[in-house]
Amino acid sequence: MRRSLAGSLVLLTALTAAGCGGDAAQESASGAKELEVLYKVEPTWPHLEKMLRDAKKQYETAHPGVTIKLTPVQGNNEAYYTKLALLNRSPDSAPDLYYHDTFQVNADVAAGKLAPLDDYLAKWPDWNTQFPDSVKQAAKGADGKIYGVPISTDTRGLWYHKDVFAKAGLPVPWEPKTWNDVLTAARAIKQKVPDTVPFSMYSTKIHGEAATMQGFEMLLYGTPGGTLYDDTQQKWVAGGKNFTDALTFINTVYREELGPKQADAHNAKLADKVNLEWFPAGKIGISLDGAWTAAAWKPTSTKPWPEWKDKIGWTAMPTQNGEEPGAVSMSGGWVMAMSSYAKLKQEAFDFITVATNKENSMTYSVSTGDLAARKDVAADPKYTADNPSVKFWTDLASVTHYRPAYEAYPKVSAQVQEAMEAVTTGSRTPEEATAAYVKALPTAVGGADKVLAR
Amino acid sequence: MTVATAPSPAVTGTPAGGPARRRRVLRWLLPMAPALALLALFLAGPILWSVYIAFTNETLTGSASVNSQFVGFDNFVRMFGDPNFVNSFLLTFVFVIGSAVIGQNTLGLIIALLQRGRGRVTRSVVNGVVIGAWVMPEIVAAACWFSFLAEDGTLNAALGISQEWLYTAPMLAVILANVWRGTAFSMLVYSAALSEVPPDLVEAAAVDGASPWRRLVHITLPLIRRSIMSNLMLITLQTLASFGLIYALTGGGPGTASQTTPLYMYEQAFRYFEIGYGSAIALVMLVIGALFSLVYLRLIKVEDA
Repeated sequence: MRRSLAGSLVLLTALTAAGCGGDAAQESASGAKELEVLYKVEPTWPHLEKMLRDAKKQYETAHPGVTIKLTPVQGNNEAYYTKLALLNRSPDSAPDLYYHDTFQVNADVAAGKLAPLDDYLAKWPDWNTQFPDSVKQAAKGADGKIYGVPISTDTRGLWYHKDVFAKAGLPVPWEPKTWNDVLTAARAIKQKVPDTVPFSMYSTKIHGEAATMQGFEMLLYGTPGGTLYDDTQQKWVAGGKNFTDALTFINTVYREELGPKQADAHNAKLADKVNLEWFPAGKIGISLDGAWTAAAWKPTSTKPWPEWKDKIGWTAMPTQNGEEPGAVSMSGGWVMAMSSYAKLKQEAFDFITVATNKENSMTYSVSTGDLAARKDVAADPKYTADNPSVKFWTDLASVTHYRPAYEAYPKVSAQVQEAMEAVTTGSRTPEEATAAYVKALPTAVGGADKVLAR
Repeated sequence: MTVATAPSPAVTGTPAGGPARRRRVLRWLLPMAPALALLALFLAGPILWSVYIAFTNETLTGSASVNSQFVGFDNFVRMFGDPNFVNSFLLTFVFVIGSAVIGQNTLGLIIALLQRGRGRVTRSVVNGVVIGAWVMPEIVAAACWFSFLAEDGTLNAALGISQEWLYTAPMLAVILANVWRGTAFSMLVYSAALSEVPPDLVEAAAVDGASPWRRLVHITLPLIRRSIMSNLMLITLQTLASFGLIYALTGGGPGTASQTTPLYMYEQAFRYFEIGYGSAIALVMLVIGALFSLVYLRLIKVEDA
């Protein structure tokens, strides 16, 4: 009797195992091969999906017998990172290919989730001829290998409304030289053009990495020697005056009510409000945001605004006191990456080459407003035709910085967001928020020996 | 699939008694075996696993996701040293007391009391409205309250003012929304309990000149005290774990102003990918839930004694 019991348990286990592992086989009964591609979609951001659908058609025509399964994730970047991290927990659920934010790459490399592409890239002529060396670094692992092919890159700076500036008696074109120039302009707008938001930036946790990168790092890397990570000593920098100064800027914006109302500052849809509502209505003066902002006003957008070319100006974010080189920018971007669990690696890489070929890169860059990663796209007149700001944002690459996108970076970024949010709401002074960051940093980066005291 | 090697209770649990007793145990165990195996696999397994994870530095990605280490009580030390956890703990307490113990419980009892002896039509209408809010999925309820409380929402339109309720009074907003959604459960429990109260007992007291208030306090409530305690226990546990409503309504914000412990746990585990730390928080919540339950069970016993 005991034997039959053991038998039933074995059977049960076998059934469960079959249930869990059912998805593991990539070849279906008909012998067709399938590659799953994971990507993100938002109602106001359908661009990537369009590009991937084109790529799927092209790929399937050229590769009979292989189907591309497109799996969209609905939601913002944060929701996408979470979903991807959860799917990547198991080889059975991990997608073969995915759209990946470069700042997450090293953490995933350390976890063994990503496949290095160097061997495949060496045999792909486009990699050597079309991708600039700076862009190739976008998804470089700590081991020096390449873990993704860039779909886009970006720079960041200031967008401003010329009508609002005229009403506030401010000069157009506007060329601020210091942080104070930015604050002075915002104060003038607050005084002379009430009912407008003088200055907008992302500074709360709900905006995630956008708050860290478009917000805090645009300030920090514009202070003399300001950085989150000391490359020579290979340690994370614990606060210091640069850090407090950057927080003080944010604190000033919100204490003097030069920014969005608190409810808007904590609204996940702040970007849509700024770009789709406030800018077209002339309800905002200055916005610290990315190169892609103009895509919100294109004919392909959900709310086209053709007049933007006359109404909107753009300029670089100045350094703190006008220190050399006078301007600051941050760059990141997204890549198409391959899972280390992918069984059909050559086929998967072939799909990457299709998704990032000239035609599809063009579709993506023109609709998203992100900067093109490929030289042939950047040189094509079609790429700049609809967007007079592209040259400016591309040229900002000369002053740009890259995040220290090491394994611990996402956790450091989370701590930066805590500090920013505290000074945004006013629950902490810049000094207190810096102190809290200094206290939390060792846990985030995995030990006090990885922290450089300032 | 390591479960295949897990010992089944039937194999290890052979008692040392005589053959008759052994046969009796086997006869009992055999039909139970599949159920026990399933329980071990899908209930005890994950719980034990999450307890283990709570003592590691496991993360969703990064090197700690492939070779996580046992870190002892580090996660718990960190938790109690984190002002955001302490804040979330206090908010959870406020949320449970405000929305469950005071809000849902009292309101449910009041509605149930007021319904006694009313006509069928009145009862159907009230029940329909209250239960309507209850059957609504959490996320839909949150969406309703969002559009009610938002800056350009129904409440401000009705009052003719501009007030950012979700920013200025986030805890009040989530407490009200949870009371609105959860009252039906308490109402149903109390309706059932009140129908068990013998009418002649209450009538007799009325004849003796007891006021309605005294009849309630000295007759009705003592008679339904077990239902009160069971109800409190159930809604406390439900509310303690409430996540979707708050997440959709305020996201725990602004700042951490409405970040109850489940939201704090979600943030740590699924936004910052700290699975080990998140599990430690879950474990603490489990203990808190157990403590609440113990208190209620104890109260029932005291009352009975």
